[in-house]
Amino acid sequence: MNSTIDTVLEQKIADIKKGANAFATGHVRLVREYILEVTGLEGAAYFERVTVGDKAEGYIDAIRQDCVLVALTRVTGKVHIGDQVVATGREYTVQYSPNSLGHVIDLSGMDRLVGKRMDELKELPLETAPIPIMDRTTVNRPLLTGITGIDLMYPIGRGQRQLIIGDKKTGKTQITLDTICNQAGANVLCIYVAVGKTKKEIKDIYSQLLARGAMVYTVIVAAFNDDPAPVLRNTPYAALSIARYYLEQRYDVLVAIDDLKRHADVCRELALLMGKTPGRDAYPPDIFYSHSRMLELGCQHKNGGSITILPICETKGGDITDYISTNIISITDGQIVLSAKNFEKGQKPAINYGLSVSRLGGAVQSPAMKKAGPPLRRELLAYLEQREVFELANADEMGENLRRTMRRGAKILQMLCQPKFAGRTPDQMLAAASQIQQGERE
Amino acid sequence: MENNMNMQGGLAPRGTARRLGKLIAVSSLKVEIFLEDTNVGIRDLVYAQAEDRIYQFEVAEINGSVASAICFGMTNGLRRGMDVYWLSEGIRVAYDQAILGHVFNSYGQTIDGTQLEQVNTRSIYERNLSMDEIEIDGDILWTGIKVLDFFAPMRKGFKMGLLGGAGVGKTVLIKELIHNVYQGLGSNSVFVGVGERSREGRDLYDEMVEADLLDKISMAFGQMGDNAMSRSRAMYTGLTLAEYLRDEKKQDVLLFIDNIYRMVQANAEISTELARMPIDNGYSPALLTEISEVEERINSTADGSITSFQAIFIPADDINDGAVHAISQHLDGQVVLDRKVAEKGLYPAINVFATQSRIIDPEILGQRHFHLVEEALRCLSRYEELEQIVAVLGIDELSQEDHDTFFRARKLRNYFSQPMYVAEQYTGIPGQFVAIGDVLDDVEAILDGRLDDVDEGDFTYIGAYLKGLH
Repeated sequence: MNSTIDTVLEQKIADIKKGANAFATGHVRLVREYILEVTGLEGAAYFERVTVGDKAEGYIDAIRQDCVLVALTRVTGKVHIGDQVVATGREYTVQYSPNSLGHVIDLSGMDRLVGKRMDELKELPLETAPIPIMDRTTVNRPLLTGITGIDLMYPIGRGQRQLIIGDKKTGKTQITLDTICNQAGANVLCIYVAVGKTKKEIKDIYSQLLARGAMVYTVIVAAFNDDPAPVLRNTPYAALSIARYYLEQRYDVLVAIDDLKRHADVCRELALLMGKTPGRDAYPPDIFYSHSRMLELGCQHKNGGSITILPICETKGGDITDYISTNIISITDGQIVLSAKNFEKGQKPAINYGLSVSRLGGAVQSPAMKKAGPPLRRELLAYLEQREVFELANADEMGENLRRTMRRGAKILQMLCQPKFAGRTPDQMLAAASQIQQGERE
Repeated sequence: MENNMNMQGGLAPRGTARRLGKLIAVSSLKVEIFLEDTNVGIRDLVYAQAEDRIYQFEVAEINGSVASAICFGMTNGLRRGMDVYWLSEGIRVAYDQAILGHVFNSYGQTIDGTQLEQVNTRSIYERNLSMDEIEIDGDILWTGIKVLDFFAPMRKGFKMGLLGGAGVGKTVLIKELIHNVYQGLGSNSVFVGVGERSREGRDLYDEMVEADLLDKISMAFGQMGDNAMSRSRAMYTGLTLAEYLRDEKKQDVLLFIDNIYRMVQANAEISTELARMPIDNGYSPALLTEISEVEERINSTADGSITSFQAIFIPADDINDGAVHAISQHLDGQVVLDRKVAEKGLYPAINVFATQSRIIDPEILGQRHFHLVEEALRCLSRYEELEQIVAVLGIDELSQEDHDTFFRARKLRNYFSQPMYVAEQYTGIPGQFVAIGDVLDDVEAILDGRLDDVDEGDFTYIGAYLKGLH
């Protein structure tokens, strides 16, 4: 301990003699994964960008009485104890090029497909103050996904935050891709955010969107699994900051975040490595706020622009009542729940209609959709519940009403099945719905 | 960033500022100040100034010559060595007739674009009621919501908790109560938005304007996009507004809190930043103290009453969560919302077994209501058992008595769903206010078998049944 202090003092005195600014430099005293403890840096600001020679870059994540904590965002060489850390005098920001549409980028403005920096980079703050209550207006314009079960029964509006939640391999990402593809000609700028997706998956998503002409109005903001954890943590905030940049220019923006469970795990990893006290399931006690402040940027702004957010959350064993899932459900304006059982049965999209919710409902639907949707949904739910109870009952002994419910319910469920990348227009949906009504009369 | 500047800039100090010391540590929520002047107390407000903005803090802990303070907004740009000045003895909010029709943030400033000039203000803390002041009797208050009035009736001065996990309809229910009770009663109200959606805050404001009720309500918001300090203090600020109406205007006040759990959650974040040892699930060690501090202020006096509706979030659907438990100890009644009911599309999605009220008592409600509640619960609880039997053996295997109970319970269950005024956009069915007398008649008729021939689907999303026949 004493020798450490001595080294630091000697170093500092040496620096002062050399004329270097002892306030803007410091020295590494601890390396823990991508977290550094640095002595010195007396005058550095919270969230200031720092460099460790040409070996690493990062930002100041906490200023303590005797040191500062640096979170590294780029590591190219080995960091040693005693290495000099230099404060740049500039805040850690997002680098974004307005020419990014059609590209896969990261938060420092790299084009990840070719490994080069984008040109005309602008600096955007990673996080901004919340959008004031009085700057928002009612969410009431539809954002059509092309998926019947969503547009008709659990509609999404521009400025809404609608969670997509379910187990692995239930089609969560597919719903966001379908939705993005359905925005062709709808004047919506799309941002797909990859947090914790493999490089292979990201490349696949890119080529799917490219093949369907959707990359023209889409930018993919990707953090790779092997990026330092601080980058993974910051990427969704960066994407929302980009969305806000467009919001201020009155764009309608759609942001899909894939996925927030992984993001929560990254936050936990960082918090524990930084020595923060863990809360429920070892997540930091501010994990709710980590997500709430991000998703609260979704809004219909009074300037006419909007940010719609489709966060994804992965569950285990179909349990949507775990800590992180319920946190996110309590933030969003509704959830589309996907069920592995439905997926296996071939009922795709594998929506669990009982557990799905839209808190905005008809407010974001056209009058015709609003008229057709809610009764159909009630009928379907009654069918699903009765199907469970009367599974063993003899159909001949059922009352006429019950038999009718069962017959129609099965038809509705059939009508809601839809292959991927086969978006339907509201007119097609309404036609299908009225066919069920007519078929019944005959 | 700009908004933050405005928000914090609005509190710019006047006159000569007293310098307290220097910043020596900074995190996302907390700063530490080396005190050269130790004349500073807990909950005092202090500030630091950078070139382009003012950062404000509330002192949380003092240890010798080091004070820890919690930030009102973002801390980006703060650095060691910045000077810290004393501002005031704590957060204050308008304590004045002018609060009606206005929207405040947690720090006592209006956020609806208006300025309140020359109004009285009061600290948002320090209002303890003596036992002598507290009144406990009040008239029964009907809400027009069948399942509430039947299973969990309440009266003036009541504390009614609305407990539920995520996405099962707490907010819709609280809005329906605002619609039925507030708009029906016409007394002044206070709405406190704690850690909930800003969109809903905005919608509520617009609805109040539309219903021409804005001049009778005062609102305070610290929503979920705001930091822990704001979410925690919204509760105190809102409460002070309600106390003004009770103590100075001598009124019966309705206090709507959505959602009080978020205050506890925010306090846990603050406590962690202060490096205090947590209790289970990461809550603040002072959990019980913090809840009592707030709940004991929500009471009625001889001058006026505060009837409160408190939404309570249940994290991870865990009804035994320490914070939920601690809050519910203060309640006179509670309504528990259940995901299993919501899944069936029956709203309000109430679990009738966990729902309770202090006044389920024949002396207060009368023998008939009391008896019907017991009967209905018996019938519904038998149904839960029968459902499992039916799932295995089929419906044909039930005895005649069980067969009757099974179908009557299903009718009862459907009957307690209700079209709500504020949910018309989801259901497409206009809302209904149902009188308790009609509820009792209908429940009685279903239970004694008079309605056995009616299809169960006919009871879903209706108001009164028998009355509707005439």
